Amino acid sequence: MIDEYKLEILTESAKYDVSCSSSGSNRRNRAGGLGNGSVGGICHSFTPDGRCISLLKILMSNECIYDCEYCPNRRSADVRRARLTPDEICELVINFYKRNYIEGLFLSSAVFESPDKTMELLTETVSKLRKEYNFNGYIHLKGIPHADGGIVMKASKIVDRMSYNVELPSEKSLKLLAPQKTKQSLLLPMKSLNEAIECDRQNKIRRGKVLPAGQTTQMIIGASPEPDGQILKLTEALYRNMNLRRVYYSSYVPVVQSNKLPAVGAGLLREHRLYQADWLIRFYGFDVNEICAEDENLSQEYDPKCAWALKNMHLFPVEINTAPLETLLRVPGIGAKSAYKITEARRFAKLDFDNLAKMRIVLKRAKHFITCKGKFYGSDSYAQVKNILMLSGTDEISEQLTMFSEPSTAVSALTGEI
Amino acid sequence: MKIFLTDGTPSAFFTAVFDAFKENDCIITSKTDIQLSFGSEVISCVYDEEKCERVRAGIAKYEKNAEEYIITALRSCNPLREQISFAYIKKLMSVRAPIYKCMSLQEVIDLNELIYKVNGETHRLKGLLRFIETNDGVLYAPYSPDNNITDLLTAHFADRFASERFVIHDIKRNIAGIYNGRNWTTCYASEAEIRLSENEKNFENLWKKYYKAVNINERPHEKQMKGSMPVRYWKFLPEKRDNN
Repeated sequence: MIDEYKLEILTESAKYDVSCSSSGSNRRNRAGGLGNGSVGGICHSFTPDGRCISLLKILMSNECIYDCEYCPNRRSADVRRARLTPDEICELVINFYKRNYIEGLFLSSAVFESPDKTMELLTETVSKLRKEYNFNGYIHLKGIPHADGGIVMKASKIVDRMSYNVELPSEKSLKLLAPQKTKQSLLLPMKSLNEAIECDRQNKIRRGKVLPAGQTTQMIIGASPEPDGQILKLTEALYRNMNLRRVYYSSYVPVVQSNKLPAVGAGLLREHRLYQADWLIRFYGFDVNEICAEDENLSQEYDPKCAWALKNMHLFPVEINTAPLETLLRVPGIGAKSAYKITEARRFAKLDFDNLAKMRIVLKRAKHFITCKGKFYGSDSYAQVKNILMLSGTDEISEQLTMFSEPSTAVSALTGEI
Repeated sequence: MKIFLTDGTPSAFFTAVFDAFKENDCIITSKTDIQLSFGSEVISCVYDEEKCERVRAGIAKYEKNAEEYIITALRSCNPLREQISFAYIKKLMSVRAPIYKCMSLQEVIDLNELIYKVNGETHRLKGLLRFIETNDGVLYAPYSPDNNITDLLTAHFADRFASERFVIHDIKRNIAGIYNGRNWTTCYASEAEIRLSENEKNFENLWKKYYKAVNINERPHEKQMKGSMPVRYWKFLPEKRDNN
């Protein structure tokens, strides 16, 4: 059985990876096998930092040949090192899974010996888990930059999701802080995996397809000087060109002392605003340019949708009973689920303000931007609205970060969140 | 006023609906400790196939999925669940068309509320249920959910743990969902005697270590944690039970 000391080291090393979701795959269990996928994803526990535990997130090894400035496991760092064998990992996954502690495995590794060797051993592990241990639960595998394309393709047929971390939002910062990783070594495998996924889609392959839950990526915010606008521009390009399922942002935490790195963290609010903007791009039909200019940062006081609405007051108020779905989605305070509920309910009867309240539509912000049966319930003064929204923004900060995978059931499938 | 008393099953409820439908003012409930007001008359409803089928057919005529909605709502722990379901049926029969998405009707909002909570808890417990490995290899999961969802969870885990044997035990309602490696059933079960497998404590210990190690101490957000994982579930979670 795995040594608890090793487990501790390799978990500590993996925990800064944000990606945690287990959604997107509906892999079925096979006869005599253990586990299946759940399209909406399932959270199994929550840690005191508010994040969910869905997958067993672990490194195979933290012995690294690279020396990335921001990374606590870089070669020159003086930290405890450990490595696990494929069998140790498999045994742990099976036993945690059987007790319903986890939804699957998130396997990553520092680069030991060589990128090819590392990728090979990672692939061997997941292959063993599927074939020998007959495990059909969710597996998220981290891609190793510079590893041979053939091994990567082999792995992609076994696991549910793969991710290459962009790490930093510009090539310049990457060169400065992670000189061993190049833009090409991250984007090329992403591209060829996307082509393989696309090929399966066009051939309408249903069983055993490549990466059923697609690809994701992650970047560190605040370790380098890029403004939010530039980050979001990159995000949009990744969604468009690479068909990524998610881009994760991780606000920089100063765990490593270096003169190339800022001494203070970026703070949770900036990360939160980026996620809000990310959502607007994916589910609300917003264009990056509407939310944030390329050389600007997102507003701290208002969420991006409020900020946009305040700049475009001439478009409001909209009538709740007639506005098309796309317009409802642009009202501050009305989310995808609420907009869907409204469009369904208004087919039966015209809705008034009370109806909305009873339907659990949050009206604190929305009431300044809508009319119900022609009647307006908000404030007329622009300055006052601005003030109220800012206030509602401040108490929102304590409740932020709800996007860390709330249980997403049928409705979120409809709204496309997964 | 007439009070129709059911045993809590959907079929008894549908039977009661048949009898209650023509009454002007009545209550359907499965609660045995209700306060009787002066002049009220208690009628005990037992399953009657003909009545039950007629109500089910009547509902299905106007809304295909209504029966499924009501069966879900009846799993709720809300003491008014029968009353709310009955009000929904009455509304459906007067509108004579599907009403489930007509959220401007109070009857629909109330029923949706029950279903939302039942489905929400089912989803949550798919993650938060914890199994213990016993010395004969059977997995055992005690829990006490708010709503009556043991069969829903048993079906989920029968798919997932197809080659295992397990018992999911609702210790509040004394219901157990049992899977033997081929098919599953639910039954009455008040107590269970468990002997742990040899490795159980070790893996539980590893899990607790993992839970502690994966947390980022620099970013505390306890409120978020408690919102997603309410304290009432903690007593069955090894990672929360002992050290908090």
